[in-house]
Amino acid sequence: MKRRDFLKASAAIGALSAVPSMSFANEDEVRKFRVQYFFNIKYPEKEYPARLWNPMPYNADYQHVRVLNFNGNYNKYDLNNNNEYSANTFYAEWDKSDMPKIALMEMVIETKYRSVPIEKIEWASKQNLPYPKEVKKYLLPTAHIPTTGIIKELADKIVGNTKDRFERVKKIYYWCTAHTYRDKKVIGCGKGDVKKMVKPGNVEDIYKHGYFGGKCTDLSSLFTALVRAAGIPAREVFGIRLGKSHFDKALGKSDKHGFANITTWQHCRAEYYIPGAGWIPTDPADITKLELVEGLKYDDPKVQTLVKKYLHSWEMNWMAFNHARDFVLYPRPVQYPLNMFGYPYAEVNDDVLNYYVPKSFEYKITSQELF
Amino acid sequence: MKKFLFLIIFMVFAFGAKKEAIIIVDGMTCPLCTTAVKSSLKHTPGVISAKVILHNKTATVIYDDTKTNPKKLLKAIEIVGYKGKIKEIKDVK
Repeated sequence: MKRRDFLKASAAIGALSAVPSMSFANEDEVRKFRVQYFFNIKYPEKEYPARLWNPMPYNADYQHVRVLNFNGNYNKYDLNNNNEYSANTFYAEWDKSDMPKIALMEMVIETKYRSVPIEKIEWASKQNLPYPKEVKKYLLPTAHIPTTGIIKELADKIVGNTKDRFERVKKIYYWCTAHTYRDKKVIGCGKGDVKKMVKPGNVEDIYKHGYFGGKCTDLSSLFTALVRAAGIPAREVFGIRLGKSHFDKALGKSDKHGFANITTWQHCRAEYYIPGAGWIPTDPADITKLELVEGLKYDDPKVQTLVKKYLHSWEMNWMAFNHARDFVLYPRPVQYPLNMFGYPYAEVNDDVLNYYVPKSFEYKITSQELF
Repeated sequence: MKKFLFLIIFMVFAFGAKKEAIIIVDGMTCPLCTTAVKSSLKHTPGVISAKVILHNKTATVIYDDTKTNPKKLLKAIEIVGYKGKIKEIKDVK
């Protein structure tokens, strides 16, 4: 068994992940979670090799990894952010053998409610400052995030003649949250394939009557595509829920001791960028989850409270991994590009293990809130 | 002599009909798409092996020509939601 000193690893991941944040939290709630991962890579052959890439959280002013410890019987491992989006990655590799392929990980992460005050965003938006070079890539399309064709037409229709950036974002956000629903038939978080969601058609009809189903990656990707098409940088943020929501159980829960099996609690949120205010958190997808789980309509006061809150905030019973789309992991897998990195990813030769089925993969993730 | 003839006939059926099809698969956008395509191909009677690679959108299928054909391979790809186009078919020795 190899063993890494957690302080070394924690320092390493901290250095790898200096993600700038210009938000101003307006609530001081600090929460602490112990998160544990267990991997036992399965494959229907007696002897096989395996490779595993696991998304890791970054450090920011709203989340900080305080402890990281990992071990296992892998032959090689690596902690890197060597990819186009600097997505933090734990990598492990096992040689061909009939041995179980085990990796364990434990981290303690502190989170703080994240919110950018509306007044700050409005003020910054009015300055109409230029975009910094490093955020311009989030104006561009990817394989799953189109910014031309029907998406551009729809974005133009939604924002109309509005010039102010934040007002444009608001129009798109309110349109998205009113014209989408959570489709529980979608597997996992969804593929976030906007081209498949919004097919070419009459833009007037889509604007008035469009009603798009999906899960969090789908809905965050739709928002991201529309915001980018409106000329404002935006991106999805992949992560996982850690425990109880103080707003509603639909958005996260735990037992009376603060424990939760979070194996399937991956959740995708979004951010948009207003120069002078920085990256601003938002979560259009959780509006639809609240509606579905609690059986509420969009105009229900509780839903409307969340709509207002999640235009510019995140409740941090969740940790963020990365904002990578359609990119190549490191070391390079056989299959690439990867459309999103919110789940563990593993290969046996050229076979991709189904990360939507943790029991066959096999992995388990748990969270214990530390009070 | 009879045994020899039987062996020849057996060889033709067992080995003479093996072919390799290289298929361009349109619509695969994520690694798990390759799993769906590969699984569908491997479950097609007559398919001996299938390898699907995302970045060049290619499926390489070894199959028994007496049990299946390119049309059935394309159908297997279509039923999991993708569109295949035969790029090349060659004999496998």
